[in-house]
Amino acid sequence: MPLLASRRVLLGLVAAGTVTLLALPVASPAWAADPAADLVSSTAAEAIQIVKANPPGPARQAAIQRVLQTKFDLAYMGQSSLGANWNKTNEAQRARFLKAVETAEARAYSERFGQYEGQTLTVGKVTPRANGVFIVESKLNQTNGQPVKLEWEVRDAGRGLRITDVKIEGVSMVMTRRSDFNSYIQNNGGTVEPLINELEARAAR
Amino acid sequence: MDAGLALMIASLSKAVTAGVYRSAVAAAVAATVLGGCASSGDTGAAEVWDPIETPNRFVFAINRTVDMIAIRPVAVLYRDWVPEPAQKSVRNLLDNLGEPVTAINEVFQGDPSRAATTMARFFVNSTLGLAGLFDVATSFGMPRTKEDAGQTIGMWAGKGVEPENGGFYLVLPLVGPSNARDATGLMIDYAIDPFQILPIAFNWDWWWFSVPRFGLTVVDARSRTMFALDDLEKNSVDYYAALRSAYTQNRAELIRAKREKANTQSELERRDNLALVR
Repeated sequence: MPLLASRRVLLGLVAAGTVTLLALPVASPAWAADPAADLVSSTAAEAIQIVKANPPGPARQAAIQRVLQTKFDLAYMGQSSLGANWNKTNEAQRARFLKAVETAEARAYSERFGQYEGQTLTVGKVTPRANGVFIVESKLNQTNGQPVKLEWEVRDAGRGLRITDVKIEGVSMVMTRRSDFNSYIQNNGGTVEPLINELEARAAR
Repeated sequence: MDAGLALMIASLSKAVTAGVYRSAVAAAVAATVLGGCASSGDTGAAEVWDPIETPNRFVFAINRTVDMIAIRPVAVLYRDWVPEPAQKSVRNLLDNLGEPVTAINEVFQGDPSRAATTMARFFVNSTLGLAGLFDVATSFGMPRTKEDAGQTIGMWAGKGVEPENGGFYLVLPLVGPSNARDATGLMIDYAIDPFQILPIAFNWDWWWFSVPRFGLTVVDARSRTMFALDDLEKNSVDYYAALRSAYTQNRAELIRAKREKANTQSELERRDNLALVR
C-alpha cells in the first residue's frame, strides 16, 4: 500500500518489522556496568538463544513468553497501551486484557523470525531521565542492509528494573498499540469489552 | 456599473482572502494546540490529528485493494526471484537519482557541507559507480543520507510545533500514509528534482526513463516494506490506526534528529552547564 513515500520512511517501516528483541545477540562491554544496559543485553542474549534452539512453534512461543514475563513489565505496558481507557475497565477485564495481550505478544515475537540470521545488538548510551526512566540506545547490526536503531525504555514500576517499551527507528511499540487499541475502542461503541473479546479470540486461534 | 462590479469582485476576493487567512491561522493554531497535547506523554505523540478520517479510510481501502491485486504480487516475485545483487543495484540506481533532491534539501536545512558531500557522492557513483549501479562513494568514506522537503519543513516549523504534528493526516492514492507537511514536501521534491525536469526540458522519451524509474521505485519500495507492513497488519486490531501512528512517529524521529543537530544554541548552553559543573 504505501508505495512511494520517502525512502527513509519506508526504511523505517521496514525496520519496524525486521527487528525485534528476538534476533539479537549481544556485544556491549563498554556499558556492561550499567544495570539498565545489562537488562537489555541479557534479554537480547536470552532471546537469541531461544530462536537458535527452537524452530517456530509452541515450544518457542512458551520460551518467549517466559522472557516477556521476566524481563518486561507487561502490566505496565498493557496499562499504557490502553491509555485513558484503562480507567473504564474493572479488575476482571484488566486481568483478561493483560493475559490476551501477553499471548498475542509472545506469538507475534515467536513467529516474526523463521531462523537466526546472524544479527548482533550493540548496546550504546544509557540516558537516565526523570521519574527513574532509563533510555538505552542500541543498534541492531544485520548481515545485509543498514543497521537499525533500537531504543529501549527501562524503568522500575514496582516490579524491579524491567523493559517497558521498545522504539524501532522512532516507532514505539506501546504508542502504536495505544493508537491501534484506542481507534478500535472508538469504533466499537467506546467500551473496552469488544477489544478484549477480539484479543481473546485471536489468542485462541 | 462596471466599476460597481469591479468593486464587488474586489471586496469579494478580499473577503475570500481574509477567510482563507483566518482559516489558515485557525488551522495553524489548532495544529499547535494539538501538537502541544502530543508532547505531554513520556513516549511522545498522543493521537494523530486526523480530521478527514472517513475519506482517508476510503483511499486506504482502495490502496489496499490495488496493492493486493497488482502491486504486492509483483513485489513478492521481485523479492524472491530477482538475485540479491541485482536488487541492490536497482536500489543504488534509484538512490543515486534521488541524490540531487537530497542535496538541495540539505542546503535548505542549513548544511551546505553535507550537501557538497551528497553531490560528490552523486558524481562519483554516476561515473565510477556505473550510472549509480554501485555505491562506491560509501567505501570512499562518504556515507549516504536521504533528506526530503517534508523534513526540511518540519525542521524549520518552529519550537511550538512538535515534530509529531505535521498538520492533518492524509492518505494519498498509491503513495499511502502522509500528512499536510509531507504531502507538501512531496510536491516540492517533485518540482525541484532534476530528473523530473530534464526529461521534460530535453523532451526525453518518458517511456524509456520516467516510466521505468517509477515502476522500479514502486516495486523496490514495496518489496522492502513487505515484512514490516505484513507484521503491522497481522498484529493490529485496526491496521489503519496502527499505520497512522507508526508513520507519524517515524517521521517525527527523523525531524527531531535534524532539529537537535541544528540547535546550536541549546548545544552551547549544554556545554556551559557542563563547564559550570566542573
